[in-house]
Formats: sequence, structure tokens, C-alpha cells
Amino acid sequence: MNPRAWVTLAKGVVLESVRRKDLWVVAILGFLIMASAGALGFFGMSGLEAFAKDLAGTVLGGFGTIVAIIISTRLMPDEIRQRTLYPLIARPISRFDLLMGKYLGAVAVTTIAFLILTALVGVSLAMFKVGYEPVMLQYVLVRLMGLSIVCAVGIALSLVMTPNAASTMGFVLAFGSGLIVRALVMAYETSPGPMQPVFRVVNALVPQYGLFDLSGRAANQGWGPAPAWVVGTLILYAVGYSGAMLALGWAKFRRQAV
Amino acid sequence: MNRAVPFIAVGVIVGAGLCVNDSAGQLRREVNPPVRDTGLDAHETHAAATLLGQFRTSISSWLWLRTDLYLHNGVQMRPLSDAEVRAGVKGLGSHDNEDKKLHDDAKITTVVPASDRDFRGWMGDVERATQAFKDMRNHGHRDPKSALPLFRLMTWIDPQFIPGWTVGAHVLVSGNSPEGLERAVGLLQQGISHNPESVELYGELGHIQAVRWHRFGLALTSLERARQLSLRRPVPEDEDGHDAVRDTYRWLALVHRELGQLGGMYDAAREGAQRMPDDVILRRLANPPPSPLPIARQQAWLKALAETAPPPEH
Repeated sequence: MNPRAWVTLAKGVVLESVRRKDLWVVAILGFLIMASAGALGFFGMSGLEAFAKDLAGTVLGGFGTIVAIIISTRLMPDEIRQRTLYPLIARPISRFDLLMGKYLGAVAVTTIAFLILTALVGVSLAMFKVGYEPVMLQYVLVRLMGLSIVCAVGIALSLVMTPNAASTMGFVLAFGSGLIVRALVMAYETSPGPMQPVFRVVNALVPQYGLFDLSGRAANQGWGPAPAWVVGTLILYAVGYSGAMLALGWAKFRRQAV
Repeated sequence: MNRAVPFIAVGVIVGAGLCVNDSAGQLRREVNPPVRDTGLDAHETHAAATLLGQFRTSISSWLWLRTDLYLHNGVQMRPLSDAEVRAGVKGLGSHDNEDKKLHDDAKITTVVPASDRDFRGWMGDVERATQAFKDMRNHGHRDPKSALPLFRLMTWIDPQFIPGWTVGAHVLVSGNSPEGLERAVGLLQQGISHNPESVELYGELGHIQAVRWHRFGLALTSLERARQLSLRRPVPEDEDGHDAVRDTYRWLALVHRELGQLGGMYDAAREGAQRMPDDVILRRLANPPPSPLPIARQQAWLKALAETAPPPEH
């Protein structure tokens, strides 16, 4: 393990992202946010503060997830396709270091993009004089943890399938995992006994992105921040699930002929 | 030439936008027919019209669901599935029944399950702590007036979204204030201007005019208009449409009775009972109580009563 190499590689991912004008995507999404906010402002926001915060949380979560999947599922396949992987693995770093560096880079770019979007949404909310509460800060931090899992899943998928399939699967998991978990919970009570252990296993395997979404508490009145033990558990889950995904990706990547 | 391409593209887009803007009034009639079809119109030839119509409908339906969410202060609710009902799972119920127009609280439960109904262990505990969740058994609701801006927004986006008008008016009159009553009547009249053939809107207007305003003459006019509109097509099979026709007949009969027009009451109730034979209330209103008078004398008495009733208010 070479943490210095991780940092160097992560910086490379950020610079590459800037060079490729990936953040233009963020700018366009931000423009959409401001234009939508302008349209709502034209109508008048009096009494719609909860709706505005709810919409802001939905938009931030959706756009942040899109950016995370697009960036993370592209990194490794691009290196292989453009043959820029050869000079990298010729250096004194292991394939694990390469994978970690790319993962941290994806998390860094996603974080930058998410914070830019958050700032734009914050400006839009401020224009409507919507008040801020501490739970909103917690929402941003916890959402970033969730996006780090999205990046790990994206990188792992991109190592076991084609880039298009990886991004498609990434979107299916990101936007469908909540639905899957909800269906499991609903059906568990009325399912036959032998099926119940299967439900438990599927629930454990599916990434629980929904746990990292505090937008419901942030948008509505009277909900304080989540307790510290919850945040601690979420950190452990994010580290554990991301680690498992990266381990799966590494298991494939270390034997991959390039 | 290449440099001119973006300008040409922008010009085409702006031109197309202006054309769409010019024909918006014509499109509106086609996108939003006075009576909403339950299915897609197979003969609709305007792709843009279909697309816009679906978009507006989707947003107003989404806002409708958000309204329910805000009334529960962010706690997501869902209806019980058929399997759950068969398994004997009970709904949560509420103590104020403020949102009875939105759904039946006896048949709903929280999307995030309570700990005693959740197999997920610590994951369920974390979800209950990160989501807007609380035990909603016998729950209350936020003041429905806090959702009024959403009703305003959904009717602005989709003026043909009838529940937005009717439930918005219901919320306005819930406080029993004279201002709220005036605003509710104004809202419904605005809705009628966008949906002149809506049985629901005329029926709700007549209901408010009779029950809240006690202006039975005005109520009679509105309810009679709703009845005439309902006669243009069979009684709808969907719950909302069926209830609107049923309530129109019930209130029409009761308003006639309030005005002392027993003949009108029996006519309305009999017509309603004929169209909806399963409705017990209409059947009861349609059948006069047993009388010692012969039928001919009863009819003469009813006719005389109807003729001496005061004229409707206008």
C-alpha cells in the first residue's frame, strides 16, 4: 500500500476531470437548478418553503448521484481503452494502489461537483428567504458519504462489465435500491417462511443508499439532526460497503490481462 | 459556415418556441379536454400536445402526493397492500381525519415500518433515525391550510386537475371563517371557468353553498347544473367520478327538501336511485314515508306544497 500514490492519482483524476470539462456538466445542471428556481420564484414561494427544501434535496440527491455514476464508471475503462494504464502500472505502484487512487479521485470530483450544486441550490433557497437549519448541513455530509458508496459500486461494476452496462447498472442500483428494499420490507411479513432468509440476504447485499438521505428531515419542520450513533453507524457502513466493493473490483482487476 | 450553425440552431429553437406560444390556446383545449379521459386518446395526432399534457398531469399528480406528505410533516405513508389486508394488518387511523379527502387513514401505514414490523434490525433502526419517521398510530395532521400554496401551484400548472380545485376549496372552508368561505367559492368558480363541464366542481360548489353558506337557492342552481352535466354520460366507474354524481343527487334532493320542494326532492332522489340503484340514501330519499292518504291525494298535496315553496335565491 502506498498512500502517497493514492493522493497523486486522485489529484490526477481531478485534473483530468477539469481538462475534460466534466464540470461543465455540473454547470449545466446548476443552470437548470437556477432556471427552475427562477420559474418557481416567478410564481411566488410564499408558503412553499417546505416544498422548496424538499425539491432542493431531491435535485441535489439526483444530480449528485448522476455525476458520481458517470465519473466512477468511466475511470478504469478509459485508462484501459486509451492505453494510459501501461505507463501507470510500469511505475512502482500496485494495482490496488491504482484502484484506490482512482476511487479517491472519483470521490473527490463527486464531492467538488456536489458542493458546487449545493452552493447553487443554497443561493436559490436564500433568494426565496428559506431558513437554514443544522440538519441541512448534516444532510450534505451524510449524502457525501452515500455518494462515496455510489463511486465504489461504479468502479467495481466498471471492472466486471462494459462501461455502458456498468453505468446502466449503477443507475438501476442507485435509483432502484430504495424500491427493492421497500418491496422486501412489504412482502416479508406475508411471504412463506422459507423465503424469509432469502429476503434477508438480498437486503444485506443491496446498497442501502436510502439510509444516507436526510432530505425528509431537512425539508419538514421540527425534525432535528440524526443522533451521533446513527452518523457513526453510517460511517462504518459506508467504509465497509465501499471496502467490499473495492475488494471485489480489485479481485477482478489484479488478474486482468491488460 | 460552421460558425453559423449554432446561431441557426438557436433561431430555429426560438422560432419553434414562438409558434408553440401562439398556438398555446388551441393546444390547451386539445391537451386538457373538459372531461379527462381515463385512457390515451388513440386518435390524438399532435405529439407535442400529448407530451405537454402528460407532463402537466404528471406534475400535478406528483404535487398531489407531496401534499399528503406535508400534511404528515414528511412522514411517508402508503396504502396497505391487498396481501396485508388479507393477512389482517390494520391501518394506522387518525384522530382528526383532516385529510379524509386525500385518503382513508384506516387503510394506510408508514412507508418506513415500525420496529415491531421490520426484519432489518440495525438497518431499520438507522432508517427510522435518518428519515422523517414517528409512530403514526392515531396520528394527527398539520394544519391543511399550510398545503394551500401547493393546491394553488397544482391548479396553476394543470387547471384541469379537478381534485386540486375541490380539495383546495374544502381546505379553505374547513376553518368556518366567512373569508375562507368566500375564497373557496371564488376558487371553485375559477375552477369552473377552466372546466365548465365538470360535475365535481358544480357539485362541490352546490355543497358548499348549501351546507356552509345556507344559500339554498344558489345551491339548487349549481347542483341542478351538475345533474344536467352528469346526464350527458353514464355514471363514471371511477370512485371520484361516481361519488361526484352520487353526492350531486343526494345534495340536490336535500336542498329541494330544505326549500320545501318535496316533489323536486322525490324526482331528484328517484332519478339518482335509478342511475345508482345500490345507493341506500338515495333509495330512502326516493321513497316517501307511508301515508294514510291515498296516492292521488298525496300527489296533489306534494304538488300544492311545491307550488307554494319560496322561489330560489339569486
